[in-house]
Amino acid sequence: MTELSGSLLLFLLTAASLVAIGVYGFIIGPEPLRRILALNIISAGIFMLMVVLAYRTSGSGATELAADPVLQALVLTGLVVAVSATAFALALLARLEQSSSEMSAPLQLKQTEPEQ
Amino acid sequence: MSPFWLSYLPLAIILSSLLPGLIIFTLKEQQVKLRISLNLLGVTVKLILVLIMWQAVKAGDIFYFSVPFLPGADLVLQGDALSLLFVVLSSVLWLATTIYAIGYLENSPLRSRFFGYFSLCVSATVGLALSGNLVSFLLFYELLTLATFPLVVHRGTPQSLAAGRRYLAYTLGGGLLLLTGVALLHSLVQSPQFVPGGYVSAVVSEHSGLLQLAFGLMIAGLGVKAALLPLHGWLPQAMVAPAPVSALLHAVAVVKAGAFGIIRLVYDVFGVESMQLLQLAEPLMLLAAATILYGSWRALAQQDIKRRLAYSTISQVSYITVGVAMLGPLAAVGGLVHLVHQGVMKITLFFCAGNYAETLGVHKINELNGAGRRMPLTSVAFTLGALGMIGIPPTAGFISKWYLGLGAVASDNQLMLLVFVFSGLLNAAYFLPIIYRLWFLPQRGSWPDEQRLSARLETHWMLLLPMLFTALLIILMGLFASTGISPLSWAELIVEREFSYD
Amino acid sequence: MMILLLVLPLLSALLMLLWPRIAPLLALFSAAASSLLALQLLLQVAEQGTRYWLLAGWPSGLAIAWQADTLSCLLILLSTVLQLLVGLYAFATRSRDKLSQGFWPLSTLLQLSLTALWLSRDLFNLYVCLELLGLVAVALVSLSGRKAIKPAFNYLLLSLFGSLCYLLGVVLLYGAYGLLDIAGLASQWQAGWLSNSALLLMSLGLMLKAAIWPLHAWLPAAHAAAPAPVSALLSALVVKGPLFILCLLWLQLASTSQAQAMAPLFAAAGLAALLFGGWSALRTPFAKNLVAYSTVAQLGYATLALGLMLTFDQPLIFAALWLFVLAHALAKAACFLAIGEMSATLGGKRLTILKGASQTMPLAMFAFAVAGGSLIGLPPSGGFLAKWALLQGLWLQGEQLFWPLALVFATLLSAAYVFRVVVLAFDRADPVAPDFAPQLVPQWLALLPALAVWAMALFSEPLLLLLRLEAL
Repeated sequence: MTELSGSLLLFLLTAASLVAIGVYGFIIGPEPLRRILALNIISAGIFMLMVVLAYRTSGSGATELAADPVLQALVLTGLVVAVSATAFALALLARLEQSSSEMSAPLQLKQTEPEQ
Repeated sequence: MSPFWLSYLPLAIILSSLLPGLIIFTLKEQQVKLRISLNLLGVTVKLILVLIMWQAVKAGDIFYFSVPFLPGADLVLQGDALSLLFVVLSSVLWLATTIYAIGYLENSPLRSRFFGYFSLCVSATVGLALSGNLVSFLLFYELLTLATFPLVVHRGTPQSLAAGRRYLAYTLGGGLLLLTGVALLHSLVQSPQFVPGGYVSAVVSEHSGLLQLAFGLMIAGLGVKAALLPLHGWLPQAMVAPAPVSALLHAVAVVKAGAFGIIRLVYDVFGVESMQLLQLAEPLMLLAAATILYGSWRALAQQDIKRRLAYSTISQVSYITVGVAMLGPLAAVGGLVHLVHQGVMKITLFFCAGNYAETLGVHKINELNGAGRRMPLTSVAFTLGALGMIGIPPTAGFISKWYLGLGAVASDNQLMLLVFVFSGLLNAAYFLPIIYRLWFLPQRGSWPDEQRLSARLETHWMLLLPMLFTALLIILMGLFASTGISPLSWAELIVEREFSYD
Repeated sequence: MMILLLVLPLLSALLMLLWPRIAPLLALFSAAASSLLALQLLLQVAEQGTRYWLLAGWPSGLAIAWQADTLSCLLILLSTVLQLLVGLYAFATRSRDKLSQGFWPLSTLLQLSLTALWLSRDLFNLYVCLELLGLVAVALVSLSGRKAIKPAFNYLLLSLFGSLCYLLGVVLLYGAYGLLDIAGLASQWQAGWLSNSALLLMSLGLMLKAAIWPLHAWLPAAHAAAPAPVSALLSALVVKGPLFILCLLWLQLASTSQAQAMAPLFAAAGLAALLFGGWSALRTPFAKNLVAYSTVAQLGYATLALGLMLTFDQPLIFAALWLFVLAHALAKAACFLAIGEMSATLGGKRLTILKGASQTMPLAMFAFAVAGGSLIGLPPSGGFLAKWALLQGLWLQGEQLFWPLALVFATLLSAAYVFRVVVLAFDRADPVAPDFAPQLVPQWLALLPALAVWAMALFSEPLLLLLRLEAL
């Protein structure tokens, strides 16, 4: 492991704090949308960590300037997975909202009826 | 045993009740005739097969049948003298009880289910008798639990469901302890076939602590079904089951399964020598002796006929354990023969109790006054059974107690002699008042729920016949104890083979 | 053949989306064909030894590693056969249960992700399988309609969180070693703070997804909310996927000292799962929740076995672990199908509807009781075999008293909740309508896996042979 340069350390710290913020948000938040976003922040942190690591491992080999291609491929795959998972979560959330509003709808009707 | 098919004989004996049982499950409620014929066919085939096996074993053959099961422990069926003792007992009494049950359950609902499980129970009991190693024994021991449970809860009343839960809690717990013990023993010496003299002697000095632990676990597991002292709580409760169930299961199948397991464990797994080296016999004997006295004592206080009989069973089954635990040949003969005698006597008593309940609606002892006049045959049978239990000659009970007493004298065991005497007195104290009420007290008012089940006889002939048959056996086994076909001579044969293994 | 096992479900799932009308037939065909392939693969591997495969011919280290050993093949066979059975059940009850069309492609995708998971030996590929498995499982739960969406959503969030924890661990390991395939990693493994934290992160994620106590709280709600065939698949197979990866990590990667340090935690978690799961199953008033809590409890056996395996390093305990998994999968599929069938026919979710079920629906009740016997571990069932192997493994370690006794106690609890149902079923039934005619085929389908789990005992020696430690 070579000596970490200043900017690398910054990247690493950012990635770590993204993960930390995400975890905090996930554990604290009761709001479903907020938890989905928190998960996205965690994954952003992890992907950032992967990008940073790809940069770092390049120093040892013969190809000094190229970043580790495996990790970049992994980040791409991870992004696809994360996007589809988020889309699915949002779709479920939409249905959840819909069904809960449907369930509460008759109640509201009853309340408004006497006023008419 | 040269013919090839003879090696399948143990399997065939089990299947002869298992297959009819499985078919009966699929029958409709109304197919009464088919059901009865299947039942009787199964009984007949079983008796014939048992007879063939009996002839061969008497001549010195041993039957083996095995299929691979666990590593180092095949599923072995073994027909030897000891297993045959239990097989004959359960097959013959199955015949009697089947007829009784057909009469008893006439026109009641869910008979297909009842007879199906009933056949499964007998299959499990016979399988348990024939099992040739501890793992097979464990398997049938658990199957017996599962097959009896539906019979205990057969009536579906809250009371019987509660009894069923309790029964399960006890027996499954016991089964687990047995499993743990068997697994422990298996890890020490594997699970070879039962052999006179046992197979643990090689590791006695090395693993005495673990062997003692395994023995304790297994006795605790078997003690549940054999109703040894702290583990007897399920038996009196299970009396809510229909009378044939109480008769066959609680007089023969379940409690005897426990007692039979103890016999196997002491003679064919540990062996007399190892038992002495490990000092295991003394605690077992004391526990059984305590159970004898406790059961008799509690029986005195019971006012319900079936419950008094249940406590009496607790007490009487422990005679078998005591006989085995004294480790002497004479006491062993007494214990083994008591396995048969007690079964026949107790089943007679339960048949009688069922007849009183079914015909007169009588469940309590103080309602029995004068029943001897209304139901003379039943009362004669009851009297015979009760006298046998007390141990009065020339009944079968006298024979077993005589040998148990001889065994106690032979091993100079004053304490056990005292226990036998005292328990005999207690037996008399709880049976004689019933006999007195039956014959010498006048009837009090009308019977609680009298039914005319037959025009000429005192009750339905199917309820009378099995009871008279077993009552007759009590006398015959006592009178002809010295002949070659008596249970006594068979017990002597077993003991001869068990104690002359070297 | 490995490729075919992966391609077949993928292709048929795509075809189903294009041509929904023949989806059921296609799904059944794919499951049946995969079962045959899996059986053939198992026989081949058992005979010729483990087969390796590097994707697209890349050199080792760069390519995604796949491996078909006897354990993976056994698990593939199990999942394809259960898939077929559950598919048949869903097909037989399609007119009554109104299962959404989505079930067919989703269940086929589930089979795909499970097969890929059992075969992968690459940490990142395992992550992809895990994520796919989680998404498909959530989608399947949500098929139940409105009431299932809330549990499905919670399940999704926790599942995603678990996968991210796992992914973070994978990234840390890659950063340290530059490797993803498990065999390569194992050869360079060093115990240190980095590998410690990576292992812990991955285990946390996997335990969350496998519903291992104390991270099990999502499971009963999700499994109980799903339609009966889906619950059967979820309980029987889906939770086993993360468990498989967990075993790979701790048995292949972790150093002895790491394993020894973690072992008591696993064992304690397993025991706690057995006790709490069993207790909750005893208390719940709903039939499906009872079975779901029993899954939590039964997973405890596997966790306990894993912990003991790490402590004692005893091959028999390893076999016991997977015997538990196999037996539980079959038994639980039977339980869920039987309970689902009974509550659909008798109408209602509460346990009390099962009153007298031994008279009204004897076949389904029998299936439940038989499967329950294996959950308890009565001989000669698969559960008994597993327990026997575990006890043997323990006794071989010398004077172990605590764990056998704990096992006995836990077994009593499972007996208590199984017989809670059975006793109810032997109650006198309420009178039924004269036109009451339960369907027979679904009941038989529920009975099949229950009978299979009892038949397992007859094949104990080949099974134990297949589940040797070297198999992994």
